[in-house]
Parts: sequence; C-alpha cells; structure tokens
Amino acid sequence: MIFLTVGTQFPFDRLVRAVDEAFDNGLFDEEIFAQIGQTSYKPRNFDSTISLEKNLFDEHVRKASSVISHAGVGTITLALDNQKPLLVMPRLKIYGEVVNDHQVAIAQKFEELGHILVAYQEEHLPKKIIELKSFIPRKRHIQTEAIANRIAKFLQSLANSQ
Amino acid sequence: MAKQLKICLAASAGGHTSQLLKLSRSWDGHRTFCVTTTQVLADQLRKFGSVYVVGESNHQHPLKVLVVLIRCIKIVLREKPDVVISTGASAGCLMCLLGKLLGARVIWIDSITNIDRISLSGRMVRHIADLFLVQWPHLAQKYSNVEYLGAVI
Repeated sequence: MIFLTVGTQFPFDRLVRAVDEAFDNGLFDEEIFAQIGQTSYKPRNFDSTISLEKNLFDEHVRKASSVISHAGVGTITLALDNQKPLLVMPRLKIYGEVVNDHQVAIAQKFEELGHILVAYQEEHLPKKIIELKSFIPRKRHIQTEAIANRIAKFLQSLANSQ
Repeated sequence: MAKQLKICLAASAGGHTSQLLKLSRSWDGHRTFCVTTTQVLADQLRKFGSVYVVGESNHQHPLKVLVVLIRCIKIVLREKPDVVISTGASAGCLMCLLGKLLGARVIWIDSITNIDRISLSGRMVRHIADLFLVQWPHLAQKYSNVEYLGAVI
C-alpha cells in the first residue's frame, strides 16, 4: 500500500487530484490510502480520511511500501526514520496552500541530500511516481542523543557553579 | 551539592514542541515549567511541570505580540527561571529575551525547518543566547556563535 498524506492545516487539492489522475493513467500497481485533511477534491480511485491520530498515522507510514506527501518536515523525517521511499510535492503560497514557501526550501534540501524525490509541480508527478518504485532513500543520521548530551552538560556545569 | 535548576521550556505548538520534547532527557533532574501557544499539546507538556498557554503571535500582528508579551512578563516574574530552553518561534523568543533580562541563561535550538537562514526569532535571540544550536551544517558556517552537532529529528 502507498500512503498519501497532506497534513491537516490547509487543503491540498492539487496533490490529491494529481495522484488520482496518475492512478487513472495506470501509474500505480498498488493500492493507495490517503489522509487528505481539508482537501475538497474527493479521490475516485482510493479511500481517504480527513485526519488520523498520531499512533495510527505512524502505523500507516510504517506499513506503507512508499509515501507520497506534502513537504512538511514532520512527515519527511518520519518517513525517513522508517526508511520509506518518499515523494513530496511542496505546498505553494500562490495557491493558498500554505502561508509561505518554506516547503520548497525544505524539499530542495532533502532532495539535494538524496533523501527524497520531489515533484515541484503537478506535471512532474507522473515521472516521479515511476522513479519512486525503484528509489532507495539515502539514510539520515540524526543526532538527538549528542544534542541532548550537549544541553545536559551545559545545565550540569551551570548547576555546579551556583 | 549541585543546585537543581528551574528551567523554562518554551515552544510554539506543533513542530517546535515536538523537536523540543525529543531532547527531554537533557533536563532530567531539574525542575521545569512550560510555555506553549495553544492547548493542543498542553496535556503532553503537563509531565514537565506547570503549563502556561500564551496564545499565538507573530510579527505581522503587533497587537497579539503585545498581549503575549504581557503574559510572558507575568510568567517570568512569577517563575524566575534559571534557564530558558526554546526551539521557537515568537513566544519562545520573548521568553528567552525576558528571561535573559532577569539573569537566566538561554539555550536556543533553531528549528530544522529553517534551511536558508536562521529563523527570525533565532536571529533576535542569537546575540544573547548562551548556547545556540542549529540543525544544518551550512548554517553553522554562515553565523558566528552557532553550534552544529546534527539534527534533532
């Protein structure tokens, strides 16, 4: 199963419609399940839900063969933590999909590092869907432990000095 | 014996808070309280002490900033933290600046969503921060007094 998710804050009709149309054109050989938030477009080819609780959301990512989403950094890092091939389409301000174009910068950076595939416009999506089938994301190395240690040390030396 | 510190954990609801909570191990053994912007994550924050909900604000709405500022001043005067730790955004920035005025140390972790440059809030806090961490290596090269150890998420 492919998991399509667009977040919940604003609608993202462009992405849901483009994936639905790609399905019409036979680009998928798997089922899709979608979390579509406030999106008004209703997909014809797959089931969808408005939102998912955190646990269920995580489970859908874990179980998916690949993920298609907006370029929200929470979804990107979650998909990469689970080593899922991920294709994103950034939300754009000009379409009222987001308040600024930070998703474009995020998508570019993660793409440049080999972690994700990006379709910057709907018309790029079919080609990227085909690439997604054989895409192996470059592994990310997060340093939560090292950062927590750095802060803990800072606090310890402050506590000792007082 | 080392003193137990009183730490203010300040972050806007959503991604800012989830990045901050990933680091919860770091303040183990100290007393904490939280400043957040909406009720959304208040329950989740409750295990880190009192939770103050100050409302959303950004620089495009000066009046809202003023309301949040007044709430933050009251919190700082009441709690008198030794340290403020924040991932942003504007409410976190206000807590850092106010905390510093009263002698608190400031730790800032700039959100991973800031790619091309440090966030506006982060840029305001950078000069007064005692520890300033970014999550992208190129940002550490671009700014002085900024550390990069890796990404939190």
